This record gives sequence, C-alpha cells and structure tokens, in this order.
Amino acid sequence: MTSDALILITGMAVVTFIPRFFPLLLLSKKEISPSFSRWMSFIPVSIFAALVASDVFFWEGSFSLQPIQNIKLIPSVLVLFVAYKTKSLLWSMITGVLAMALLYIFL
Amino acid sequence: MKNDTVLSGMRAGLPIMASYLALGIACGIVLYDAGFSVLAIFLMSALVYAGAAQFLAGSMVAFGAAVPSIILMVFFLNLRHILMSASISKYVKNKPMSFLGLFGHTLSDESFGINYSRFQGDDWTANEALITNLFNYSAWSLSTVLGGIIGSQFTINTLIMNYALIAMFICMMVMQFVSKAHIIAGIVSVVLSVLFTVVLKHNIALVIATVLASFVGYYLEKRSAEEGVKAND
Repeated sequence: MTSDALILITGMAVVTFIPRFFPLLLLSKKEISPSFSRWMSFIPVSIFAALVASDVFFWEGSFSLQPIQNIKLIPSVLVLFVAYKTKSLLWSMITGVLAMALLYIFL
Repeated sequence: MKNDTVLSGMRAGLPIMASYLALGIACGIVLYDAGFSVLAIFLMSALVYAGAAQFLAGSMVAFGAAVPSIILMVFFLNLRHILMSASISKYVKNKPMSFLGLFGHTLSDESFGINYSRFQGDDWTANEALITNLFNYSAWSLSTVLGGIIGSQFTINTLIMNYALIAMFICMMVMQFVSKAHIIAGIVSVVLSVLFTVVLKHNIALVIATVLASFVGYYLEKRSAEEGVKAND
C-alpha cells in the first residue's frame, strides 16, 4: 500500500469519527429541549432528500431532467414507488440497480 | 450482554446487512478500479466505515484529485452525521465513553435510520442498537473486501454500481415520511439542494439545504399544532 493511500485513509477516518462521536458525547449527558428534538426529527428526511436530489438530478456535472440523457431519473421513480410500497432497503436497491442496468444496456 | 439482545440486534440489522453485501461489493469494485489494493479497501472500511464517503473517495481518486481535497470533501459529506449523532444521543444517555466511542464509530446512515425508527417505537435498547451497528459494520467491511477481490478478477460497470447507494438513500428517505410535515421537508430539501448545488457547485449545498428544509418542516408542524389547539378551544 502506498503512503498516499494510508494518509488518505487516516484523514478520512478522523473527519468521519469527529462528527459522529462528539455530538453523541456532548448531548448524551444533557436533557434536550422538546422543541430542539422536534426540529431534529426533520433532519434525517432532509438529509436523505438532499443526498438523493444532488445526485439524481445531475448528469455529468450539470442539471438534467431528460430521462433519455440522465438515465438515473426513471430508475429513481421506480425505486421511490418500490420503497413506498415495501419499505425494504434490499428491494429498493435491487429495483434501482436492475433498472439502471437495463437502461444502460438499451439506451 | 444477553443472548436475546444480540439476537434482536442482529435481526434488526439483517435487511441492512443484506443490502450492505450488495452495496459493499459495489463499493469494493469502485475502489479497486480506482487503484486501491484489497488490504487498503479493508483498512478504509474498518477505520472510516462510511459508504458514501468511500464511494466519493473512489471516484475522486479515479479523477486524480489530491489527498487534502478528498479529505475535505469527505468532511463536508460527513457533516450530516453531526445531526444524526445529535438526534440519536438522547437514546444512549449515561453510557460509558467506550460505548459512545464504538457507537459513534459504527453510526452509519442506514444504522441510524433503522435504530432511530426502532427507538421511536416501543422497547428498543441502546445495547440492541449497538449490536445492530456492529453487525452492519462487519457486513460492510467484509463485503467491500469481497468487492475488491471481485474487482480484481472482472471488469464491471461502476456507474450502475454507484446507483446502489442512491437507491438506498431513496428508501431511507421514504422510511422517514412519518407525517405530512416530514414529506414537505423532504420536497423542500430536494428543491433547495438542486438549487444550491447549481449555484454553489459545492457539496456544502447539501448541508445548507438540509438545515433550511428541517426548519421549514419544524415550522409547519408547530403551526399545525397551534391551529389544532385553537380549533379545540
């Protein structure tokens, strides 16, 4: 393994551990106000929506709503439907990857 | 730790372990393709344990990005964990430092998603949540290594492999659709993150969109609760 890979992995480990551990450490000792935790209940849905949108609506770096060019759009609609019906991570993933593979082959 | 704690923790982790198997193999393939050895892939999964960050590192290394800028991007990508770590903290109160360290290290998007919904339910304990985390962590580490080995033997399309992660995030999002306000927050976050990504051309857009959308959701919920009180008067 090169030293570059080691430095990269160490750096990534540090910047991953800090945001996961310190809020846990600092907040687990205190009472959190009800309105703060009500606000935080909206964080996960917003995070996942942002992660999905910033990937799905972009193709090769630019915004694209053309399902023929941006082949992630149709699979995403399918996955949204399957996820809503089944609430299953596995089925969502299988649907998405299969749809992507089919579109990739035929377009 | 009791046997049934381990069993129920494992059972909660099973669907995630299954998807980590697929996702981890995909990630291992992407990383091997970017030039990481199987040993480096294992080390990264064990020490970093962040699927999205590892996919990102794979694609940035493939583009020839410098080490400091990759670490910075990973840092920004991981800012979302502050919010997850903070919101799950109330369920691991009064646990020793070693517990919190291990729990924090193994707190992934998916473990968070499943544990957070379980905690909102009836009788989920911090120990069960840690067990779930640890099983997911092991599944991820092993699968990425497996992916690296597969990648070293065959040529596989990484665009399709990358999509596995997005499909998973879509499902995690849908699982958080617990009220109308939460759905609206999700939609607002979609619109804002696209808008800010176009304008800022930077990953920080996701953090800004997330914080703003969560305030919109909070405000909507508060307003409808107040209207409910008024209607009852």
